[in-house]
Amino acid sequence: MSDGIPPILGGDQQWRRLDARMLLVHPVQEAVRFFPALLVVFFSGRSSGRSGWWEWALLAGVIVLGMSRWFTTRYRIWGGQIELRRGLLNRRLLTTPADRVRTVDVTAPVWHRLLGLAKVEIGTAGGGVLAERIVLDALAAPVAARLRGELLHRVAAQTEQDVEHGSVGGSASESWIDSASESASESTPEQLLVQLDPSWVRYAPLTTSGLVSAAAIWGFGAQYLDEFGDLQDRVEGAVDRVATLGVGVAVVAGLVGALVLVSLLAVTGYLLTYWGFRLTRHTGGTLHTRRGLLTTRATSLEEKRIRGVEIGQPLGLRLASAGRLSAVTTGLGREGAQHGSAWLTPPAPRSVIEATAVAVIGDPVAVSGPLVSHGPAARRRRFTRALVPTAVLCAATVWLSRVVDLPPVLMLVGCVPVLLAPFLAADRYAALGHALTPRHLVVQAGSLSRRRDLLARDGVIGVTIRESFFQRRAGVVTLTATTAAGRQRYAAIDLPFERANAVATVVLGDIVGQFADSPGRADPSAGRASR
Amino acid sequence: MTEPGATTETSPVRLREPANLVCPRARWMWLVEGIVQALLLGGVQVAWWLLDRRGPRDPHVLVAGVTGIVMLAYVVGMPLWRFRVHRWEVTPTAVYTQTGWISQERRIAPLSRVQTVDLTRGPVAQLLRLATVRVTTASAAGHLVVHGLDRDDATALVERLTVAAAAERGDAT
Repeated sequence: MSDGIPPILGGDQQWRRLDARMLLVHPVQEAVRFFPALLVVFFSGRSSGRSGWWEWALLAGVIVLGMSRWFTTRYRIWGGQIELRRGLLNRRLLTTPADRVRTVDVTAPVWHRLLGLAKVEIGTAGGGVLAERIVLDALAAPVAARLRGELLHRVAAQTEQDVEHGSVGGSASESWIDSASESASESTPEQLLVQLDPSWVRYAPLTTSGLVSAAAIWGFGAQYLDEFGDLQDRVEGAVDRVATLGVGVAVVAGLVGALVLVSLLAVTGYLLTYWGFRLTRHTGGTLHTRRGLLTTRATSLEEKRIRGVEIGQPLGLRLASAGRLSAVTTGLGREGAQHGSAWLTPPAPRSVIEATAVAVIGDPVAVSGPLVSHGPAARRRRFTRALVPTAVLCAATVWLSRVVDLPPVLMLVGCVPVLLAPFLAADRYAALGHALTPRHLVVQAGSLSRRRDLLARDGVIGVTIRESFFQRRAGVVTLTATTAAGRQRYAAIDLPFERANAVATVVLGDIVGQFADSPGRADPSAGRASR
Repeated sequence: MTEPGATTETSPVRLREPANLVCPRARWMWLVEGIVQALLLGGVQVAWWLLDRRGPRDPHVLVAGVTGIVMLAYVVGMPLWRFRVHRWEVTPTAVYTQTGWISQERRIAPLSRVQTVDLTRGPVAQLLRLATVRVTTASAAGHLVVHGLDRDDATALVERLTVAAAAERGDAT
């Protein structure tokens, strides 16, 4: 990196402010945050006909509040610590050791991009899911990129030192300068793993993202619909006009319209989120993703912290033989997971997903190899669990229709699920499976949202074997591998009891073996037939 | 382990139960907890009786009868059943617990992954000189709990686990 910016990590111990251009961004952000309140105040002031000076005073207050955030926020990166101080009335100091940095996100929403700014979010190890990430909102874009590079290269350099000296910390301040000069001279060679193919946008309508955004827009709009009475009238007028064409036409028109609208939303969302998606691997031992049309987001994941991958195949994507891939990693926290920091691909063809998964975890058998199915008891349980509730629902609607007068449509609605249940159960059983490879534990389950989880065996930090009353009678258990990464728990449901114990013994070795009745008794018949 | 690429074959293993029972006084703790829950339900029943003045008394009697029988079975059976299920064991390398009654759960965690060890004593447990030990690991879903230990045993266990956890380097993820 020869961009003429002085190294940040080797800097002085001065507290720094965020970039001064944030004085323009913060007030806008605050105004957006208080937008509903401002809207209500303005409209109520308009309708009651009062003079509007105090509305402007409120707006000014919001702007001052926004600007105060710049004056009250300082950070410094010095002596092996990242420190962030913020708050006006409620002052807080967030501190984290720089060698615990695991992930660094650089995001640039539209406002930031116009002004050449970028937000840096730093995820650290050992904090668990509730850990607060350190957010520097925002720095000049080149400074943010620089900081990201330095933090992650420092991590790589530091861990090598740990191996040599067997200690953490200590000589922290000297190594700042080393790593800084090192990264400055490095030309950051990178290997491209995935790049967005624009034709993948065809998968967008198959995900639920369009429905979700439609619901969000409707929910948001409904709150303010009262304010726009004439719009509501116009919508109702349109509905009436369509309704005069007859109920059948109206329903079909409504369905087609909704389908088109939801698909458009999904495509728009896909483009906004994944535009320019690139996944690259750097020699420093990190994976970088970069994506976004208006808001750009760049994420770096330390490969040493990746404990596996999840291959998600919701029904729509599965029918189009597509899926999506995300990483199982520590140090993202709940916020990071919500913002999609762990995504490794957009919804993409299955071949791309599998190739990427192999490139990331290097275990082709775990990615696409056969799974051990869970046997007849698990199959029976899938059917009872699908059929019993739906049959009860159907019986209840039939009984109700005898007692009170129910429209026949309602009876149809009550009894259709029981007809679909066997297909769901069969598909759920087909999905159910697990496998052990030398390096990974693989579990797969689900029909509507099928997921294949590949968890590194050395990332498993505990095993839970749970049996409900009905499971005990069927002789099956749910085996959960707990981990510090990703969802924290990955479960293989309805495993035969002995098989679960065997899997636990393989995953945790002697830790479990010492509690076995007869450790090490060899019997090849136990490995059940692979599908 | 077989050659890379093959699905690892496994031999049949039957986990035995953890070695140690919890303190016998734990039954009294669960009994008291069960009685408290039964009393709460009884309170709801009484409130319903008092609020619903007009209606017929038959539903009241029926619901009270069913609840009474179920809660009696619960209060008597649950502590005994729990006492037979709840077990724990700590070896130099691992913690192993078994909890539950209708649904049962076994948890195993390596000592090297233990992060914190808590000891808690509720009001009933204090009267009975009991304590509950809670062991957390780096996984949010991976904690182990031993209910109803004798207070001195619990203190000794906490000490032992704390020493083991402190001896471990790294962030145990």
